[in-house]
Formats: sequence, C-alpha cells, structure tokens
Amino acid sequence: MAYGTNATAQRGLMKEMGLSDQDIERRQKIVGLEPADVARIGQIRDLVTGNVDDLVKAFFGFLSVLEEARPLLSNRTLTEEVQRLKREHLIAMVQGQYGSAYFEQRVALGSIYGKVGIEPRAFLGAFQELLKAIGILIMKRFEGGPTDGFATFVSIQKVGFMDIGLIVDVLVFERERVIRQQQEAIRELSTPVLQIRDRLLLLPIIGVIDTHRARLVTDSLLQAIRNNRAKVVVMDVTGVSTIDSKVANHLLQTITAARLMGALVIVTGLSSDVAQSLVALGIELTKLNTVGDLQGGVEEAERILGYRVRQVAELAPPPLV
Amino acid sequence: MTVPILKQGDVLIASIQAALSDRDLAALRDELADRVGRLRIRGVVVDVTALDVLDSFASRTIRGIAYITKLRGADTVVVGIQPEVAFAMVQLGLTLDGVTTALDLEEGLEALRSLRSRTDHLGAR
Repeated sequence: MAYGTNATAQRGLMKEMGLSDQDIERRQKIVGLEPADVARIGQIRDLVTGNVDDLVKAFFGFLSVLEEARPLLSNRTLTEEVQRLKREHLIAMVQGQYGSAYFEQRVALGSIYGKVGIEPRAFLGAFQELLKAIGILIMKRFEGGPTDGFATFVSIQKVGFMDIGLIVDVLVFERERVIRQQQEAIRELSTPVLQIRDRLLLLPIIGVIDTHRARLVTDSLLQAIRNNRAKVVVMDVTGVSTIDSKVANHLLQTITAARLMGALVIVTGLSSDVAQSLVALGIELTKLNTVGDLQGGVEEAERILGYRVRQVAELAPPPLV
Repeated sequence: MTVPILKQGDVLIASIQAALSDRDLAALRDELADRVGRLRIRGVVVDVTALDVLDSFASRTIRGIAYITKLRGADTVVVGIQPEVAFAMVQLGLTLDGVTTALDLEEGLEALRSLRSRTDHLGAR
C-alpha cells in the first residue's frame, strides 16, 4: 500500500530509528510504566474497547476543524486508514502488551502522519483531546473513589505519553529524512573536478563551504590529480560568497597537499568580501597563487603547461553585396 | 631493508619499496649524499609511491636529502606521494617546504630536466 502500512517497511523504519528492544524498555522506563500500571489499565479495558468509536471520533473531530491537519483529512482513503489504525491503537493501549508489536503499530501510524506532513502541534492537541475523553470515562466509572480513578488515569496517561514521544520522534525523523536526502544531493552535485586540457583540471566551487564539504573537495581533488595525472589545477571560487578561517585553512591544506603530489593550484575568482575576510583573519597567504578571474587563471595555467591558444585566422570581413 | 639506488646517466633513482625504519632512512640519506659527489650526479629522484604513511622523521629525512644533495650539486625531486599520505602530512604540518615534488617517476625526471635548464641558464650568465 502506498502509505507504508506493510510490516517490513515498519520494521525497516524502526531499525533506521534505532528502536531496539532495549530502546523500547528504556522508553517504558522513562514514562515510569510499571506492572502496577498495567494491572490498573486492565480494569478499564472494557471501558475503552466499549467506547472505542466515540474515542476515535473525539480524536478526529478535534483534527477536522484544524487547518494544520487538512492534508491528512482531505484524502478519504487516508482518513479511513488512519481511523482504522487509531482504533487498533486504542484497543492495543489497554491490552497491557507494550513490546515491539505495539511499537510497530505506532510507527506505522506515525509514518503516515509524517508522510502527509501533519504538524506535531495539531497531533498533540488531538491526543490531549483523546486523553481527556478517556479521563472523563474513567472518572464516571470511579465516581465512588476518585483517588483510584485518578491513579488509573495516570497509568493510561503514561502509555499515552510514551506514544506521544514515539510519534513525535517519527515525525522528526521523517522531516529529517528530507534534509538527509537533500544533503546527499548537494554532496553529489557539489564537487565536480573537470579536466579541460591534458594535465589541467578545473575545480569550480559554488555555494557555502563548510568543513564537511571542504573535506569532500579535498578528497575528490587529490584523487583526480592522481587519476588524470594533473600538473595544474584551477580552483575557481567565484561562487563562494563567504568563507571562515577553518574552511580557508582547510583549502590551504588541500593546496599544499596537491603540491606534495606535484600539482600547482591556482585560485581564481576571490570576491572582495572573501579576500577581505581572508586578510582580516590573518591567514598565511604567501603560498597561494591567485589570479583575478577564471579566464585569467586558465590562461596562466595554459602558459605554465606550454599551451598557446590562437585564433585560427582573423575573422573575415562581411562580404560586400 | 636497504633501498635500491639505480644510476641512470647522471641521475640517481631511489625507489622505496616498503616502510623503512629510521635507521634505514638515515642510511639512505648517507648513501645518497656519498654517491652524489662520487658519481658526479646532477639529479636525484626519491620514489615513495609504495608508502602509505610518511611520518615526521621520514619527511624530515627526505627534506634533509633534498637540502644535502643540493649542497653537493644535485637537485632532488620527491615523487609518488599518495593522496591520503599528502593530506595526512599537511595536517601534521609536514609540508616539505623547498622540496620539488612530482606525481610519478616520469614527471619527476621531467621536473629534473626543467630544473637543470634553469640552473644551466644561470651558469651561462
């Protein structure tokens, strides 16, 4: 099914998130769930299962008026699916089994929330509404002994908070998945090393460079020097608007390492901002070969390598009619 | 393990084949210093392609070889530093300042040629 309700997908997600048996135990411990709580929850099992439809209605009734939950509820099949899962959830909540099977169900529901992009605040509001509805049912049952009623409510609340913690983790994880994918894409795009003449490489750097990316630039450049037997490299930083001292030092190290491999690096296109900050940072620049722009850098490199580029002939004048 | 030193015309080629102890390195330095003068050598190539690590003693010794042979009348080129080795050396601050480096043996011999044409030019003046 499109929204990942199959069990293998859930187990994969649980593994990615590091939800091991130890982690599940740890989560139970964090909310303070004890055998006494499970016993108390057992007393209200019939109460929740008997009113499960009303409780599901309370949850989704609350969401239906919220703008933040629209993506979830505007799709009919999706709505039915999450309502079914929520029903399962409520029944499972009072069964007293909070192991990996229970967590798997929660992750299934959470990943749907995550994929349609429901806001955590909307989810929290609805969950609070749900707990309130359960609380009302409990207090009605324990009218004679409100203290017992409250203790029971606290027990079910512990399970609820454990669920919230898990669902929020799933939501965050799904959101971060997008970030991770984009980082991967940036990484692939960011460090091309191009050969433009025999023994001459061009390394254009565009955008923000952080330490991580600088490291990638280093790796791909040094490998490319060896693979292409390069003698001169033109590193063009026209597209770099800012640079900090750590990154500048890293790039200098790259340039020195390239020299150890017998290649000369020419840096071109330092913007005035970058140049000023390099000087202000007091970075050792004596070993840096710089040329104003990319064209100048390529021309200088060609000169070093002994190329001479010439136009074949003067352009012919336009023919007279 | 001693390093084989090959003589090719007026060039010596020392190809380091395996990790060397400090004593072996010092022996290599002494041997090269001796032969450069004795055999009227003009250029030395030290090939470190096979090394996957160059520690501070090794880089200091190699730099020493370059300076000593220069004083004895020969240029030295270090060739074959691997990418990972190069970056590790830079991070340790071992930048072989003042030493000519080249990608491989072929490039190294080419570099020696161009260094020599420069010195010959100086001598002619």
